[in-house]
Amino acid sequence: MTNDRVVFDNVSRFYGEVLGVNRVTLSIPPGITSLVGPNGSGKTTLMNLMSGLVRPTRGEIRVLGIPPDDPERLCRAVGYSTQFDSFPRGLTGYQSVAYFLRLFGFDQVKCDRLARAAIERLRMGESAHRKVAAYSKGMRQRIKLAMAIAHDPPVLVLDEPLNGLDPLVRSETIALFRQCAAAGRHVIVSSHVLHEVDQISDQVILLSNGYVVAEGQIQGVRGEIQDRPMQVLIRSSRPSMLASKMFEQDHVVEAQLTDDGGAVIIKTRDADRFYRALNVLALDGIDIEGVMPVDDNVNSVYEYLIGGEGSR
Amino acid sequence: MISQITAVMRLELKKSFFSRRGLWIYLLALGPAFLYLIHAIDVVHDHEHRQALLASHPVSGGVLQLIRQGMPLEHVVELLGEPYQKNEFHGRGRRGQDFATYRYTDGENDFTFFFVDGQVANVNEQDRCNLTKDSAIFATVFQFFYLRLAVFFGCVGIFTNLFRGEMLDKSLHFYLLAPMRREILLAGKYLAGLSAAVAIFTVGTALQIAALSWHFEPGQVAAYLHGTGWHDIASYLGVTALACAGYGSIFLAAGLLFRNPILPATIVMLWEGINIFLPAVLKKISVIFYLQALCPVVAAPEADTPVLLKLLISSVEFPPAWLAITGLTAVMAVVLGVAAMRARRLEINYGTE
Repeated sequence: MTNDRVVFDNVSRFYGEVLGVNRVTLSIPPGITSLVGPNGSGKTTLMNLMSGLVRPTRGEIRVLGIPPDDPERLCRAVGYSTQFDSFPRGLTGYQSVAYFLRLFGFDQVKCDRLARAAIERLRMGESAHRKVAAYSKGMRQRIKLAMAIAHDPPVLVLDEPLNGLDPLVRSETIALFRQCAAAGRHVIVSSHVLHEVDQISDQVILLSNGYVVAEGQIQGVRGEIQDRPMQVLIRSSRPSMLASKMFEQDHVVEAQLTDDGGAVIIKTRDADRFYRALNVLALDGIDIEGVMPVDDNVNSVYEYLIGGEGSR
Repeated sequence: MISQITAVMRLELKKSFFSRRGLWIYLLALGPAFLYLIHAIDVVHDHEHRQALLASHPVSGGVLQLIRQGMPLEHVVELLGEPYQKNEFHGRGRRGQDFATYRYTDGENDFTFFFVDGQVANVNEQDRCNLTKDSAIFATVFQFFYLRLAVFFGCVGIFTNLFRGEMLDKSLHFYLLAPMRREILLAGKYLAGLSAAVAIFTVGTALQIAALSWHFEPGQVAAYLHGTGWHDIASYLGVTALACAGYGSIFLAAGLLFRNPILPATIVMLWEGINIFLPAVLKKISVIFYLQALCPVVAAPEADTPVLLKLLISSVEFPPAWLAITGLTAVMAVVLGVAAMRARRLEINYGTE
């Protein structure tokens, strides 16, 4: 086993009778790796396994040569932004990051310096001293990312990290992942949004029902995506205005207000042009609180990947 | 390691002390002190009332002590004067006897004389300002209510939540993603819970003692303190702290081992409750046995306890203080050891909580 990789050797994890992942054998090199699969395919279980939050029922895991039952070493090597949206009660964003760093045994000065740096990288400086409970989903997502990168770990494990981020922050965050990958780190991202995967990944691991069904380079996914409409939910204070502006775009095939009236679901045939148009609208002053893909129907692309050169 | 324990404690102390969900723990801890305070106010009010009665019906305490059974009513009135309250019933009962009750006070104590057919049949002296009696009442309340219920349930609330509460809030991963041994996390959480419980419940004990002694004359209190008072107070505070440590260790482990800690809490409560009836060997596998051994005043079963129940009580000589503390520490060490083993294998599985 090499010490610069995240290695799974025939790993299985069962939750009682329920399968989490089964017979997973992987060797993940540095760079951006996307775990792709529909809900319940085992992405989060795989991430929990590599960060030591759950233990394998069978098999062996090594993260840069460190076993997951050695939390003192493992958690210094891994920064994990979980899907769980909960923080210790009553803390501000800054306190969440700084107190987390105190658990590493760092002194107060170092915690303060690292926390401020991480928060600044995620552009959360202005709202860092507000209570997390009052944050929007996107802000909580950014604080989780700040906690994951604050101690500068060589392995970043990020569960659906772009969920809830507005377009500008989304592109800044993707740039941050690229910086980390360029510095030789592992950035392991889970997503069920193929457009994101295509944009950011060096390699893809495709999961289905707890099994790894394909892994390798992602090639030509964009074309496949463009053939199929993608649905995106956008939260905004002016959803009707947003819907009418979006509907002017020729790639948008449907715009529908949600029942609560606080968001609009856009169906588009061209994800790239959709995100560009959304950025333009955001810059024009239309308030966009969050963007969340709602389209889980990626089976056709999995079929494409399995059938393509990345299959095995 | 120390800095990590301190960091965990800092986070946990905030939760333990200022959680809205924990308000009932303060009520449990401070409730008895509040009741003692009401009692003290009542005693002071009663004392003022007796002083006023004494002024209108003067009688000396020494003369009141002279009254004996069989003395004729006229003689009593000759010695004491008219009572401040009297009730007379003529020709009552199967034998048509005359009954009467005469009440006097010397300003401190209340005396009720019962007369049957014009002779003293019984004397009842009600002495409300008695440190010996009050300390016996305190010992009973402390051992049977405060330790077994207030501290017990307070520790259930504080310690089971340290892990289980965060599982339910889905925030335990905050700690499990930090590079520290799980034993360190356990120690930090236990010490934080212990600090909160000890602070809340020892303050409760101290306030109870203060409230109970508030209505006594300063001279009486000073004499008590110079006698066994300081030792008694230190013992009660120490026993409270040890109760928090003992029950805390059990409920910290329960929060780690059981999905619903109420069940083990109920079992432990029953076990502690029947401790008085258990044989000597089983008595030692408990917390209350060692705590009672350390209490300065033994709380005896009440006089009106049914005879059959009294027969079931197994009397065992309490161990000396050093052995009681060692025994309790051993129980705590075993329980915390089991908790540490469980913590080492702890996983995040919020979905099944």
